[in-house]
Amino acid sequence: MPQAIPLPSDLSPATVANTASLLRIIALSLISGAAIASRLFAVINFESIIHEFDPWFNYRATRVLASKGFYEFWNWFDPTAWYPLGRVVGGTVYPGLMATSGVIYYGLRALNLPVDIRNICVLLAPGFSALTAWATYMFTKEMKDESAGLLAAAFIGIVPGYISRSVAGSYDNEAIAIFLLMFTFFCWIKALKLGSALFGTVAAVFYFYMVAAWGGYVFITNMIPLHALVLILMGRFTSRLYVAYSSWYVIGTLASMQVPFVGFQPVSTSEHMAALGVFGLLQIVAFTQLVRSHVSSKQFQDILFVALVSAGVLGVAAFVGLTYKGTIAPWTGRFYSLWDTGYAKKYIPIIASVSEHQPTAWPSFFMDLQFLIFLFPAGVIMCFHQLRDEHVFVIIYAVMASYFAGVMVRLMLTLTPVVCVAAAVAFSSLLDTYLDAHEPEPEASATDSAASVDTGKKPKKEKAATGSALADLVAAATPTKKGDAPKFKGVYGTDTRFMIVMNAIAMLSFFVFHCTWATANAYSSPSVVLASQNQDGSQHIIDDFREAYYWLRQNTPETAVVMSWWDYGYQIAGMADRPTLVDNNTWNNTHIATVGKAMSSSEEVAYPILRKHDVDYVLVIFGGLLGYSGDDINKFLWMVRIAQGVWPEEIQEPNYFTPQGEYRVDSMASNAMKNSLMYKMSYYRFSELFGGGQAVDRVRNQQLPKEGPTLDVLDEAYTTENWIVRIYQVRKEDLLGRDLKSANAFAKGKKRKRSKPASRRRALSAAAST
Amino acid sequence: MLSLHTFLLFFLSLSGLLHAKSSSGDSVLVVLEPARQADFSIFFDGLKEQGYELTFRGPKDEKPIVAEHDVPAFSHIIILASESKNFAKDITPQSLVELMSGGTNLLMALSEKQTPLSSLASEFSLILPPPGTPLVSFFPERKDPLSMIPIDAPVDSLILSPKMNPVWFSGVPHALGSNPLLVPILHAPSDSFAADTDSNADALVDAAEKGGEGLWAGSQLSVATGFQALGGARATWLGGVDMLSDKFAKKSKAGNKQFARDVAAWTFQESRVLRIDSTTHHLVNGTTPLEQYTINDQIVYTAQISHYNAKTSKWEPYSGITDMQLEFTMLDPHVRTALLPVAGSPGTYSVTFRAPDRHGVFKFVINHKRKGWTHLFSSTTVPVVPPRHDGYPRFLSAAWPYYAGAISTSVGFFVFSAAWLAGESRESKKAKKTQ
Repeated sequence: MPQAIPLPSDLSPATVANTASLLRIIALSLISGAAIASRLFAVINFESIIHEFDPWFNYRATRVLASKGFYEFWNWFDPTAWYPLGRVVGGTVYPGLMATSGVIYYGLRALNLPVDIRNICVLLAPGFSALTAWATYMFTKEMKDESAGLLAAAFIGIVPGYISRSVAGSYDNEAIAIFLLMFTFFCWIKALKLGSALFGTVAAVFYFYMVAAWGGYVFITNMIPLHALVLILMGRFTSRLYVAYSSWYVIGTLASMQVPFVGFQPVSTSEHMAALGVFGLLQIVAFTQLVRSHVSSKQFQDILFVALVSAGVLGVAAFVGLTYKGTIAPWTGRFYSLWDTGYAKKYIPIIASVSEHQPTAWPSFFMDLQFLIFLFPAGVIMCFHQLRDEHVFVIIYAVMASYFAGVMVRLMLTLTPVVCVAAAVAFSSLLDTYLDAHEPEPEASATDSAASVDTGKKPKKEKAATGSALADLVAAATPTKKGDAPKFKGVYGTDTRFMIVMNAIAMLSFFVFHCTWATANAYSSPSVVLASQNQDGSQHIIDDFREAYYWLRQNTPETAVVMSWWDYGYQIAGMADRPTLVDNNTWNNTHIATVGKAMSSSEEVAYPILRKHDVDYVLVIFGGLLGYSGDDINKFLWMVRIAQGVWPEEIQEPNYFTPQGEYRVDSMASNAMKNSLMYKMSYYRFSELFGGGQAVDRVRNQQLPKEGPTLDVLDEAYTTENWIVRIYQVRKEDLLGRDLKSANAFAKGKKRKRSKPASRRRALSAAAST
Repeated sequence: MLSLHTFLLFFLSLSGLLHAKSSSGDSVLVVLEPARQADFSIFFDGLKEQGYELTFRGPKDEKPIVAEHDVPAFSHIIILASESKNFAKDITPQSLVELMSGGTNLLMALSEKQTPLSSLASEFSLILPPPGTPLVSFFPERKDPLSMIPIDAPVDSLILSPKMNPVWFSGVPHALGSNPLLVPILHAPSDSFAADTDSNADALVDAAEKGGEGLWAGSQLSVATGFQALGGARATWLGGVDMLSDKFAKKSKAGNKQFARDVAAWTFQESRVLRIDSTTHHLVNGTTPLEQYTINDQIVYTAQISHYNAKTSKWEPYSGITDMQLEFTMLDPHVRTALLPVAGSPGTYSVTFRAPDRHGVFKFVINHKRKGWTHLFSSTTVPVVPPRHDGYPRFLSAAWPYYAGAISTSVGFFVFSAAWLAGESRESKKAKKTQ
């Protein structure tokens, strides 16, 4: 057999296998190292700190778990959250993340390694990313081979789409969930391939872990039944599928119901009904198979027809009936917004107000996946080529995840693994073809061709499908040729090989550079601490958030209730340790709308709300001085919208725009805008800062009137260095029972208008008669 | 200076020289023209007799200052310089309100003229007639000027002693606004009115023809009004300084001396002063307060309330409140129940109630505000939580179908396994036999 490059021929197969195995282990370790190392930018550039918003709650909960033990955590009622409603944390949280950290913490202490719980929390996500790389390797290995697995592991290790949710300090559920997702899928594929109840059970156990860790478990709950359903429809029902699915579903569902937050949802909500339905269908199909082996073909067809029709009608009727009765909860708003992207904006502004729930912008696909995004379709098409059961899984996964990633930014995370897998399959096929040293022999038959992507197993099947465009694509993408064609193609010489391989290496290198750049610049900011560049290029840290939170911690009584928009609830609870009205666990729309109403109403309307909720301090984020665009004035319309959803008579969004329909804060601003508590708190005394000059809001680029707003029911308590956080204290009722506006006017020395006694016409005549 | 006073007074009271003193301190600043000091000697001597330390200061004097470093220097201030248009710069309407927020009690008198005090009066929801219109009355027939009026004390007064002689009054009346913190002490007689005594009666006739519109007349007007501020301090407004003067007190059958005594006692927090000594809560069959309660717990709430006895200068347990309520509040009161005195233990008020079936951060709230009395307010925050994971009933008779289902499935599985295994061995035996 001719060879383009001479290969050593005196190596025994055992030596080759051993060396390959050793190299694989080394490669996987290096990939793990790279995955962990690239996530440490945040720690090196800033410090070992918990990032963003949700992680602060997870961190706080983990501290409770670590200090009080699991049972106390389970029964933890947090009276400081959602004041005065409180939050039953144990029953409203996915405890997997905290439990994982807790186990690591106790494990290390048992080994006499006293590690601070904060460092465990900060470094948990990088640690699990290494495990994700391994799980992806195992999964891809089932799809193609080890080399594709290694490529997939390398891709997932450093791809920005996954790093964005798993840098050090990003202590969120997703940090461990992606590993669990991939490993559950791997176990499912393995169980399906082997028909193994053991692997089905392992899949169920990891499914349970996933349920305990992340609300995104519903993705698995629907992916696996969908896969099973598609296999049945393709006529690929086997007892292996029956065993794998039944063992996974029964054990997994029973286990998932042990998580307090999930409870009876697996048997009572629409999201979980697909899994139950497919489970039932599998039983029917298995029973049908049994019947078929016992009765004649004609009878069987009659039975099958009647059974299928009646089962279908009964099933749908039962589902509709139970949904109508309320036994099965209808789809949630978040679910609807997956199909209709405008739904949330219309009906549930609270969901639409979260930036993670916005549709994905196209550039972010390239930003997050770089060259993988154009290898991805190639990989999916290659899956069609062999179309084993597991390839069907990847295809379904690819289609579903692509759609969801387009609808919601945060679901980019579930797309990333399948992109890595598919791209690795495609890329490794490319390398397999061009790194193979064998040249085709002119006289050899096509089936002897040694191209390693062996696809010629089912030539007939492929031929049958040649009519479709897809089949053409498949054929074009396949490096081997059709069985009947007398001519064959192949790779000759070293120059083509060299060019292609060099090109591939260049693509990989650019990918690495891009990933490093994206991680370092885009995804490693803790958002609690902001960084800017000085004129000489050195880094300048803006630490206003922590300054304000520590001021609260040091200067206010421990029971002082702080009101802020819900974004900052977890941070205030975590860093300032004060009760908050609303936080990032947005479970009570009315309570959030109450805060929105207080923020968007005038002082007279807001004050009774503040007093009723025992609010002592109000905290607002103001970026106008520094040009920090994520401030409360920019979020203000969401507060208005959410409040309008509950009090449509009192709060109306159009009132906050100018008659021309502009959103302005300068002298042209509408009256509702100027009188709102949020506007007043943001710009109170702002113009004084400019010493008589023109005050300019650098976020909105608008000039503010010289006469700033006045506050009667609030006192300015603290403003941070760069004015990003402003804290106001709520005044108590006036000593003399006056309203605070006139009390304030009196304190400033203004004369009160003479009042007259109420008319006593009636009283006078009554008095005269007596 | 204040501490020195209290220190001295402490020893004085120990020695038994004093027979009455205020619950909030004994230092009194009297702002008065020095020349007029002798006109009120009966009133001042009465106060001194009770143990008050009087300090006098002219309205324009700088010393002694009323507050040092925002700490009030006196427990009570009497301002009788009612005609003075200018006070020293530390006595302004604003500073007086500030002093009240620090707990200082005020006793002030108004005059016909427009003074800083009359602008302060409107902050207390008092509505004054136009300047220069004192209260006049033609009844009862008497030799005294029309503006000098004997007023019968009300029969059921909160503040004045019962069966008092008529109180002689000369000064301006005031109408009362809708402020619930006002405590009327003495109303004007129903046949009196505010009028400019110098002008002719035409204005009055005009006003009367309009059905009383714009006419300052009748018993709705008040001549002495108390004010219970939210912080606990008290203020009393008198229509004129003469009510406290020796001249009126010496009149035959005049109740002015007793009136001055009673008004000062209420204003300086000697009478009708209550306080909550302590509140506590626990489970019905417990004794110590819990950090959090479970829903539907039976909770006992107890409050200790004392009453200041000026005769002994001591706080004594007080069981006389019959209309007090306890609220168990989360945003709105979920439970509102009467908090009644416990028979047999003076000063103790207690109630047992079931916590609502709703978790959240609740507050025990006592908010008792009655005219003439010190306000009682107490708020204790306590979370009410759902039962612990092991706090639910373990074995439910209603769940028998599920128990039966679980047991039958287990038994069925066991039987099936046994039958399957046994059947298999038999088959294999058969198979072996056939072979």
